[in-house]
Amino acid sequence: MVVTICIGSSCHLKGSRDVIAILQRLVLLHGLSDQVELTGSFCMGECEKGVCVKVNDELFSVTPATAESFFNEHILGRI
Amino acid sequence: MNISLEVSHKSLCKHGEELCGDKLEIIKTENSDIIILSDGMGSGVKANILATLTSKILGTMLKKGANIEDCVDTIAKTLPVCSVRHVAYSTFTILQIFNDGNAYLVEYDNPGCVLIRNKKIVNIPYEVKQIEGKTIKEYRFKIELNDYFVLFSDGVVHAGVGNLMDFGWGWQRAAEYIRKACCEGNLSAPRLTSMICKICDDLYMNSPGDDTTVAVARIVKRKNINIFTGPPTSYDDDAVLMRDFMTTPGKKIVSGGTSANIASRILNKKIVASITYNDPEIPPIASLEGVDLVTEGVLTLNRCANMLEQYNKGDVSAKFFDSLDADNGAAILAKILIEDCTHLNMFVGRAMNSAHQNVGLPFDLSIRMRLVEKIKTECEKMGKAVVVKYY
Repeated sequence: MVVTICIGSSCHLKGSRDVIAILQRLVLLHGLSDQVELTGSFCMGECEKGVCVKVNDELFSVTPATAESFFNEHILGRI
Repeated sequence: MNISLEVSHKSLCKHGEELCGDKLEIIKTENSDIIILSDGMGSGVKANILATLTSKILGTMLKKGANIEDCVDTIAKTLPVCSVRHVAYSTFTILQIFNDGNAYLVEYDNPGCVLIRNKKIVNIPYEVKQIEGKTIKEYRFKIELNDYFVLFSDGVVHAGVGNLMDFGWGWQRAAEYIRKACCEGNLSAPRLTSMICKICDDLYMNSPGDDTTVAVARIVKRKNINIFTGPPTSYDDDAVLMRDFMTTPGKKIVSGGTSANIASRILNKKIVASITYNDPEIPPIASLEGVDLVTEGVLTLNRCANMLEQYNKGDVSAKFFDSLDADNGAAILAKILIEDCTHLNMFVGRAMNSAHQNVGLPFDLSIRMRLVEKIKTECEKMGKAVVVKYY
């Protein structure tokens, strides 16, 4: 599974860095490093919805506060 | 000749003074670069006025093609006479480097220009002229690639006088220090300037007894840098901009997410963005085949512009160079612009990102145009040729 986090200016200001850190920690915690690939992307053109995160090709709007529930629902939920 | 000049300078003000009595001027003419260093008599306001007048008059006249006799004559007749000392006095050095590889150096009472060529101090033959009762040295010679010319005011020669050193650092010791520094591989003009100033400041024990100015001009190969930032207002211009950008020789840098996506689309190559934050405030860089560096846009440019400004304000301390050597998009960009660029071309799209107009964000992202202007101004202050093209 490929999870792409937008690191463009707008998403950066809305907390990409924290979202990435939280997801990295959770992936490690659940021992999913082999199954989940976290990667970055520049602007996805959906700045209003930032922080933009794509799981495979589906777009989600995530904030540092919702990162954990997003992980549980959309990443753990699909494995 | 396919050569260019890398110029850097820094002044330390005499202890307790707000204004520097030395003045450095960098001027570009159609076929040459001119660097002028003048040192006004005394210190503070009076010295600053004398030095500024001298370097400005010299600069303006030389730019218009006047000869040195006329310049000196004009200065002698123009400078205000000091009410205490009853003389009008400012020393100067003029270094003019022509595009065809010829150089012209004029010195009046400043410490001699140090020329380092092939790791040796070179003594250039000169002629002595008397103009308006002033003794002036004139040098004409050919430049070579990797020559370092170091101009300084007498504050450098006198550094430490009566304190750490009986008679100050002295020209010979300063020149020898510069020679040794230049032996260490690819030393940039800004770093050499910083090193010399640091020694002077140390010798003065952080309290300079005289205005101290150092200017370094190094002969380098022409180094073009091309930056593409901001999407064009019209979609049709994407390809036009990219063609201009890619066909201009030199390093290619794309700054901005949307701009990177345009580059990726037209080059038909994939962007690989890193998620490693080396600096919490600056988004990670990315790579794209055919482009040397891809960074985020406005936040990176803002930090970069601030670093250029800090550098131009004279902060060339070791700490500053540490921040310049850091591994983040803004530092990488600033380092390239300061140390690895003689000619900068900017390809700037004027389109607005509607999401960036969002007032809820903690940073005004719609300031790209202002940042472009700032980077242009700061790079020009460093004596680089800057061309900005808007789309």
